[in-house]
Amino acid sequence: MAESIIKQYYDALGQGKLLGKKCKKCGAYTFPPTTACKKCGSSEQEWVELSGKGKLLFLSHGMAPPPNPRFAEIAPYAYGHICLDEGVFVQAIITGVSIDPDTLKSYYERVPVDVVPDIQEIKGLNVLAFKVA
Amino acid sequence: MGRKLKDSVFILGVGCTRFGNLLETPELKGLSLHEMAAQAAQEAMADAKVDPQEIDAVFVGNVTYPTSLLPATYSQIADWLGIQLKAGVHFDAACSTTNVGITMAAMGIASGVYDKVLVVGLESTLSQPKTLSPYERTTIPTEEMWLWTDHCVGQSYSVPQGYDIFPTYNAFNAMGYCRKYGLSLDELEHGLFEVCRTRRLHGSMNPKAIRQETLEQEAKRMGFDDPWKFWTSRFNPHVAWPSRLNSVVTPADGASAIVVGRREGAASSQPVELQGFGISVMDLPWYDEDPTVMPIDQESFKKAYEMADIKAKDIDYLHTHDCSHIMGICVAELSGYLPQGQGLKYAEEGRLRFDGDRPMSTHGGRHAFGHAWAASAGSDTYEAVKQIRGQADARQIKPFPKTAVIHTHGYAMISTVLVLNGGN
Repeated sequence: MAESIIKQYYDALGQGKLLGKKCKKCGAYTFPPTTACKKCGSSEQEWVELSGKGKLLFLSHGMAPPPNPRFAEIAPYAYGHICLDEGVFVQAIITGVSIDPDTLKSYYERVPVDVVPDIQEIKGLNVLAFKVA
Repeated sequence: MGRKLKDSVFILGVGCTRFGNLLETPELKGLSLHEMAAQAAQEAMADAKVDPQEIDAVFVGNVTYPTSLLPATYSQIADWLGIQLKAGVHFDAACSTTNVGITMAAMGIASGVYDKVLVVGLESTLSQPKTLSPYERTTIPTEEMWLWTDHCVGQSYSVPQGYDIFPTYNAFNAMGYCRKYGLSLDELEHGLFEVCRTRRLHGSMNPKAIRQETLEQEAKRMGFDDPWKFWTSRFNPHVAWPSRLNSVVTPADGASAIVVGRREGAASSQPVELQGFGISVMDLPWYDEDPTVMPIDQESFKKAYEMADIKAKDIDYLHTHDCSHIMGICVAELSGYLPQGQGLKYAEEGRLRFDGDRPMSTHGGRHAFGHAWAASAGSDTYEAVKQIRGQADARQIKPFPKTAVIHTHGYAMISTVLVLNGGN
C-alpha cells in the first residue's frame, strides 16, 4: 500500500518534525510536501526536515465562528504570515497572542519577530502552529 | 509577441440578474436557480438578438454545490433555455468562472468549432434547498457558506490547518501596502473609507446591486450624522484587523450570462471585441514577502496585454477583483492603471468614481454590487460592455470607454484578465 505524502506530513508533525521535500534538480524546497517541485516541476525530490525556525512578517486574526468547525473552540485565533529560515513562506495559527487591536498594532510595529513551531493536536489532527520565540 | 486567437471573437450579448437574496430581494424572491439562470441567459440572448436554437454550445458554471445541488448544469439549464441537443459542459473557476467561460468560448469559436456559445454563471451563497425541495430554500449560516467556499482552497494543508480568507486576503495585504508605501494605519483607514464610499455610491446608482444604500445613508440609518464615526464604530467591526467589514465582499445570489460569437452574421448591433485575455493559477501562499503583489496577476496581465497588444495607458475602464478593497487597489496599481502607492489617494480625490478620470468598478464591485461566486465575473463583463456601449445610465463614464480591462481572482487562486474593445 502506498503511503500518502499528506499523511506522512501530519504524522511527522506529531513527532515535532516539519517534513518537506527538496528538489534534486534545482535544490528548491517544497513545503508542505507535494509530488513535484514547486519551483521547477521536477518529481525527483527527497524528503527533508525543515528547521521550523522563521520570522513572523504579518499578524492578524481569523473569523468566529470559523469556517472549519475543527477550530470552533479556539476561534477567533491569531494568524500569521511567516518566512521560514529555508526561504519558504507559510501561513499558520500563532499561539499565545491576543488579537485585540492594540496587541496586533504592536506586532505590526515590531515585526519581523522570531517564531518557532508550536504544534497543536486539534480534534485528532496535528496542526502546524507557531509561537513567538 | 503574445499568443493570439486565430480569429476575432466578440461578445454579442450580455445578461445579469439583480444580485440579492433569493429569500428576500423582490426581483429574486421565490425563484429557483434554474429560473434565475434563465433570467440572465434570456436577457443575454435577447441582447445579442440570438435565437436559442442558434447557440452551438452552453457552458454553465457554479461553485458551491451544496447550495445548488446542480453538478449537471449543462443539461438542466439547457433544458430551461430550449437549447437541447447542443454541446455543453459544467465548469468551475470559482469567482473567475464566467470570464474563464468566455475565454473557453472564444477558443472554441476562433478554432472554428462553434459559431455562438452561451456562457452562464449561477450561484446562491445565502441559501440552500430545504430538505431537497425543488423550490423551497432555507438560509445558511455565514460560516457554513465559507466552509463550502473554502473547498476551493488548499485541502491538503491550508484549510485543515486553520486557513482564513480575511487575514490572508485582506489584513496582511493592507499592512504590506502601508509598509511598502510608508502610509500610516490612519491613512490606510481613511483611504479604505473612501474606496467604500465610492463603491457604495456606484451601488446606489445601479438597480441591480445588492446594496443600493450609500455609506452616508447607512450611517444615518444607524444613528450617525458623520459617516466617518460610523466607519470606526462597532457597527463596522474588524473582520481581520486592520480590515473592516465594509471593506470586504457582500455575499449574494445571482446569475449572469454572455453570448460569445463572430461579428460576421451577428444581429447584435453593438458587439464588443474580446481583444485578449490572460489566465494564471497558483495555490497558497499567493505571495512571498510582499503581500501586495501576487505573481499570478503579473502573469495574467502580461499575457492579456500581449494578446490584446495594449499597454496600461490604453485602458479607459478597469475592474479588479475587490472582494477585498485593498487587494483591488493593489491589483489596479499592478495593472498600471493607477500609479504605485497612489490608489487610496486617488479614491480620496474621487478619481475612481464613474465621473473621475480613472473610473473603476462602476457597478459597485463585490462590496456594493455583491458577490455571487460563479456569476460575478459575468456581472463585471456586463458592466464593462454596458459602459462601452454607453448604456450605463446615471453611472455612465464619459466619454464612453473604448478599452475596458476586467480582472478577477477565482478562489483560490485563478487570476483572469479580459481585454474588451468596442465603441466608436
